[in-house]
Amino acid sequence: MSLLSLTAVSRTFGRVVALQDVDLEMEEGRLYAVIGPNGAGKTTLFNLISGFYPASSGQIRFDGQQINRVPAANRVTLGLVRTFQITEIFPELSVFENVRIGVEAEARCSARPWWSPALSRQINERVDELLSITGLTAQSGRTVSELAHGDQRVVEVTMALSRRPKLLMLDEPTAGMGQSETEHMVKLIRDLHVRQKQSILFIEHDMDLVFGIADRITVLNYGKVLATGTPKEVAADHQVQAAYLGEAE
Amino acid sequence: MNRRLIVNGAVWLVLLTAAIWLPLLGGYMALASRVLIYALGAMALNLLLGFTGCMSFGQAAYFGLGGYGAGLFLTHLGSSSVLAIVAGTLLGGVVATAFGPLIMRRRGIYFAMITVAISQIFYFIAERWNDFTGGEDGLSGFSRQPLHLGFATVPLDSVAFYYFVLFFFAVGAGVIAMLLHSPLGHTFIAIRENRRRAQFLGIHVERYVWASFAIAGFIAGLAGALNALQNNFISPANLYWVESGNFVIMAVLGGMRNFWGPLVGAIIFIGIQDYVSSYFPNNWQSFIGVLFVIAVIFFPTGILGILRQRVKVA
Amino acid sequence: MQLLLFDGFNGLIQGAFYALMALGLSLIINLNSVINFAHGGFMVIGAYLAFSLAPYIGFWGALFVGPILAGAIGLIVERALVQYMYSRPDPVYSLLLTFGLALIIEDSVRSIWGAQGVPFQIPAGLGSPVSATYFFLTGYRLFVMGAIVVATLALFAFLRLSRFGIRIRAGILDLETVSALGVNVYLLRTVNFGIGILLAGFAGVLAAGVFQLVPTMGNDVIMATFVAIVVGGLGNLFGSVLGGLLIGLAAGLTSAFYPVASDVVIYVIMAAVLIVRPRGLLGQEGMFE
Repeated sequence: MSLLSLTAVSRTFGRVVALQDVDLEMEEGRLYAVIGPNGAGKTTLFNLISGFYPASSGQIRFDGQQINRVPAANRVTLGLVRTFQITEIFPELSVFENVRIGVEAEARCSARPWWSPALSRQINERVDELLSITGLTAQSGRTVSELAHGDQRVVEVTMALSRRPKLLMLDEPTAGMGQSETEHMVKLIRDLHVRQKQSILFIEHDMDLVFGIADRITVLNYGKVLATGTPKEVAADHQVQAAYLGEAE
Repeated sequence: MNRRLIVNGAVWLVLLTAAIWLPLLGGYMALASRVLIYALGAMALNLLLGFTGCMSFGQAAYFGLGGYGAGLFLTHLGSSSVLAIVAGTLLGGVVATAFGPLIMRRRGIYFAMITVAISQIFYFIAERWNDFTGGEDGLSGFSRQPLHLGFATVPLDSVAFYYFVLFFFAVGAGVIAMLLHSPLGHTFIAIRENRRRAQFLGIHVERYVWASFAIAGFIAGLAGALNALQNNFISPANLYWVESGNFVIMAVLGGMRNFWGPLVGAIIFIGIQDYVSSYFPNNWQSFIGVLFVIAVIFFPTGILGILRQRVKVA
Repeated sequence: MQLLLFDGFNGLIQGAFYALMALGLSLIINLNSVINFAHGGFMVIGAYLAFSLAPYIGFWGALFVGPILAGAIGLIVERALVQYMYSRPDPVYSLLLTFGLALIIEDSVRSIWGAQGVPFQIPAGLGSPVSATYFFLTGYRLFVMGAIVVATLALFAFLRLSRFGIRIRAGILDLETVSALGVNVYLLRTVNFGIGILLAGFAGVLAAGVFQLVPTMGNDVIMATFVAIVVGGLGNLFGSVLGGLLIGLAAGLTSAFYPVASDVVIYVIMAAVLIVRPRGLLGQEGMFE
């Protein structure tokens, strides 16, 4: 039973064809990577799936439902949550407050115009829980704009988790990170995948990372799918080697 | 936490005892009432501007409508000051709610322009509909009625009226304060911080902008109604875009990100306006203009914003 | 029928003014990213300068010198005040700054020239109608239309053909890249602001002969100018011209049929455009949306 399925999905911007005829099947519980050279259409793909803009043609099905026309905010409620290549967080709020927004949204009380101690306690507990999962408890009170880049990206992942995603989409989670930050993020992703059985779809440039943890990969090039399959299959694919990986080491 | 309690307590104490200390400083109660009225209007605007991140340049519409609502009520419908206030509040709020869908999808300058357009439409209606609104000369002939409290009748002279205004100011400010500490308030602030992130956390941003706009409309209407009762007069000038700009400068001058910012801004603005206009009756506008320029260049985070930074560093 | 033509023509002239104002303001909004609320005020400065200068250098002299003086004042204002707004991401600050400037300008004008309207002499020859039946077609009004057309064409030619103009157009599209290519963007922004103000000053000098000169002239003009830009489409210079003409004509025609609404109609049009086609008639998607 596939969680996410794209059929012949295309997206054009005026005369530029960003994505052409892309098929993708992802099952629950997978750690699925999308890779490809710059400009291949990876982020465009994410934008289509998450509802940032509509597909020009083709079908996107999520959790059994066709979501082509579903607005972005609704897709989140359906369980489709993403992070961005350039970290999107609430800059002047604290780590705690950042995560709280997501928790309140998940608890369906974002519109409640009064404060109640009982609800507040529930919300706060959940926020603390999430912060401990991603290791941010010590930073809880700090303003996110003052955090290191790597920590900011972890905050964003935590916020995404607050919506209990059926599918967590991470757009270049290690972008701009140094060695230890990258290790921390990789460990987090692995833990989420193995321990929480979180389905994760992610875009990455770091090949070692991808081949180290992904169980499925789709390679994009110039808006088309070049290859799809297990890491071994993809690495052995001649077209992929030629276009992207270089000759076999 | 504690600091906030002390500050709030101090503010309310100062406001409650104004009748005692203000005359000693050479001030007069009508000035204090005026400050509270405009502070309330600026707080309403700041809910949109400082806390939801929406640059509204048309709050005068709901402020003015509140005034006309109260004035017209007293002229045609009844003689209760309290009901007049309710009428004005409702008029401002309902119109804002009705226009919500029109403005909720827009951002930045477009948002600002459409809010101005709405207020200009009402400005011209008020100016032209002579029979009903008194036209260019404004609506007069009504006056604030004594309060019938059952056991006593209280005429609203300048001191009593100040406490009348203070009561409604407390209600309005209280609503905003409650809001800002609630999940709804958190959502507004999230929208201000990063609309896209809010959207991709499942928040329907437009609906919340609508809500903020509607609430701001009710509170601005309340302020406008009080304004009409203070002057026993309301004119199209209260609907003009310059009036909207006044609210914005009060919020920015005092500190957009601070709850009490608009009050501080109103004190400074009204204070300067009152002082300068008595010495330069023809040119006080340019003093206000200079105030705008100085505030923007040197105090972008507002007086309270600067104070807060000092306290953080200390 | 005569009345309709009369109102229509008046509307067209009004529209031409809005178009010229919208063009200058559009340049400033697009390149400097400053929402210049004082644009109407600069128009008023241009008008009053012409009034003061005309007795010494004649109408034609004032027509030439007035806008240049206004533009020079614009350059000073940009260097002294506006440039500090460039580093602020929130547009509310530039709005408030120019808002304050508008107030200062209005009061200054009032102080120098008085609160009452002042008369402005247009050259004797131009004052008379060119046609017996269409009495409203005075030489001056036709001249104004012609002058605005020439000015607009001259500006577009400048933007298209001159090196500086091309840099302005490039800067509107992507100022960062232009800067990275080694162009002095500080100079670019200052001169662009000056040009925008010069256009406003020019509109002011022309307006002096058609409308009554009062210090509050700027207030209603600035609102209409914003409406013209929003209707025409933010980000598109020609759209601003079109928007100006459209709303002027609409206002003129409305005053023939339903005079009470002639002031409001431009706002109704703007509201309608914002609902149906938020980017404006010729605007680009995504700008400020």
